[in-house]
Amino acid sequence: MKATLAKPNQSYTVTKKKGFYKFSDSGLSTYLMLAPFVILFLIWAVYPVLSSLRLSFMRYNAICDPDLSPCGSVGFGNYTYLIMQDSRFHKALLNTSLYVVGAVVLGLLASLSLAIALQADTRANRILRVIFFLPSVTSGIAVVLVWGWVFRGDDIGLLNGFLSVLGIAPVEWLATPSLAIPILIFMSMWGGAGFGMVLFLAGLNAIPAMYYEAAVIDGANRRDRFRYITLPLLKPVMVYVVITGTIGAFQIFEGVYLLFPTSVGSIGGLKDMALMIVPYLYDMGFNRFRLGYASAVAWILFAIIFTISLINIKVTKSLEDLR
Amino acid sequence: MSMTRAEKRQERRNDDLMEKSGNFENPFEKKGKFSKYSRVPLYLLTFVMIAPYYWMITSSFKSVKELQKVPPTLIPEKWILGNYFDTNYDPTLFQQDVLQGLFQRFTKVNFGFFRFFINSTFITITITLLTLLIGSLAAYVVAKHRFKAKRAIYLVIIGSMMIPWQVGLIPGFLLVDDLGWLNTYMAYIIPALPKAFIVFFLVQYLASIPDELIEAARIDGAREWTIYFRIVLPLLKPAMIAMMIFTAIGEWNNFLWPLIITQSQDMANLPVALALLKNSGSGNIGTQGVIMAAALLVSLPTIILYFLTQRHFIRGIALSGIK
Repeated sequence: MKATLAKPNQSYTVTKKKGFYKFSDSGLSTYLMLAPFVILFLIWAVYPVLSSLRLSFMRYNAICDPDLSPCGSVGFGNYTYLIMQDSRFHKALLNTSLYVVGAVVLGLLASLSLAIALQADTRANRILRVIFFLPSVTSGIAVVLVWGWVFRGDDIGLLNGFLSVLGIAPVEWLATPSLAIPILIFMSMWGGAGFGMVLFLAGLNAIPAMYYEAAVIDGANRRDRFRYITLPLLKPVMVYVVITGTIGAFQIFEGVYLLFPTSVGSIGGLKDMALMIVPYLYDMGFNRFRLGYASAVAWILFAIIFTISLINIKVTKSLEDLR
Repeated sequence: MSMTRAEKRQERRNDDLMEKSGNFENPFEKKGKFSKYSRVPLYLLTFVMIAPYYWMITSSFKSVKELQKVPPTLIPEKWILGNYFDTNYDPTLFQQDVLQGLFQRFTKVNFGFFRFFINSTFITITITLLTLLIGSLAAYVVAKHRFKAKRAIYLVIIGSMMIPWQVGLIPGFLLVDDLGWLNTYMAYIIPALPKAFIVFFLVQYLASIPDELIEAARIDGAREWTIYFRIVLPLLKPAMIAMMIFTAIGEWNNFLWPLIITQSQDMANLPVALALLKNSGSGNIGTQGVIMAAALLVSLPTIILYFLTQRHFIRGIALSGIK
């Protein structure tokens, strides 16, 4: 058979691409537009991450004097010491875990309940939503300073002042180890519930009303509708709130830094009762200038956050497959 | 981009429908016995939400004497401005009940406390504008240009969002130090410019804008930069406004990085200045009034910005959260 589709002597003019058009349909402009971001990104985002990985395998400080404080590779030394021996770090890990679980679980419940309570679009609800959201835009330091006064240990502390009216002796709120984490969890809920609420409200509003109407016709009561319509359809939002909440909670710093100093000028409060991962990183890096060691702390933080996010996504996926 | 009044009305109606859906009331369902009181816990919570703000405001207008009262007064007996600026204050005298007002402190710094406002405002505005400019340029290229290594570049940008920013903290600090930028505006601004989330968010947003619009302009002979400024930027406006607000509030409240890179008071931003103020006189109850005055002044701008831009704000969160 003879191919008759194209005449053999007709040649297609393939113009050879010149210059930057070899790489992009839009030529040089692609790269000019991309360059500012990408160059800054390479210098200030990619390089620090790679460099921090290198530092985490080193003994490194700001001086690096071979006689006084030598710098150099220690292999996995920083990591093994952190994981096997550093009891302060263990305390920080334990505190952070307790805090994260408390803050995320209670925060999720609080923000979901708020969203449901404030869902109807009435004037009062609109005002309440604004009030609950305010902490999300308020300076964290400003808020922590107010809490610092509320929980002051002497009778001038706000909470103690009101307790004294009831005849209760002043409580050393910020110097009682068992209260440190609950107070930080409370502060996180106060500060973060409104943000979760906004996300849940958006999720709730995206559920079509006809689902509820159909359910009512089928005789579903209020609880059934919540259990079988609202909850399943809110799951993507829930996953998002849990993951971002977990990541955010692991990075707690300001509250610990300002409310729980120690007498020797480091962070963590009495007996390190409120020591967390990022404050510990700051303490190691910028109080003691053990920069290699602090970098290893940062990478452990990354490993934890990464693993938890993966587990979270996997678990939700597999739960979805079950149905 | 102007809409007729009828179109606007229709859009508002659609919005209302969106908000009301999912909030379906079953007319046949009896209201619970307790429904009358079911919102009482909500109002109690609202009280807890407002209390810190109320305390911040009222105590910034209380006298030193009144601040020492146990139990504390709920409403200032006498509203005074001394915590901001005390006309009775004389640095050469020791007066028990007269303290340096906020604007009389930080005497070694030009303009005193006002200096931190200048710092924060300049840093926030510069970062917000530049970061959005370079971010949107990159996002436009990634979303609408065809070029080599595009996927790889975008993947690195998105991937970086999984790494907690504290990982790059120490090398970032060392880099700033090597460049001689410690204690300068450069250290505030340059490292803050490449924000992966902004590129990610804008790429998502651009994906919903048809390529034909841009293709048509290209066929008409528009240059890439013209297309960016005349077509893409106007289309991106809602997304850009949301990102602007987020970035501005985030930078205004930023604490850990500024804490690390400032070495003298005059380069502090407002949150760092608040921490300085707290550490300078936390033991003395009189300074609490001054601290509250400062906390209030630091919080107000972001709260005002939030009130002014509420609609964009909530929409932006919903956009970034759900998709």
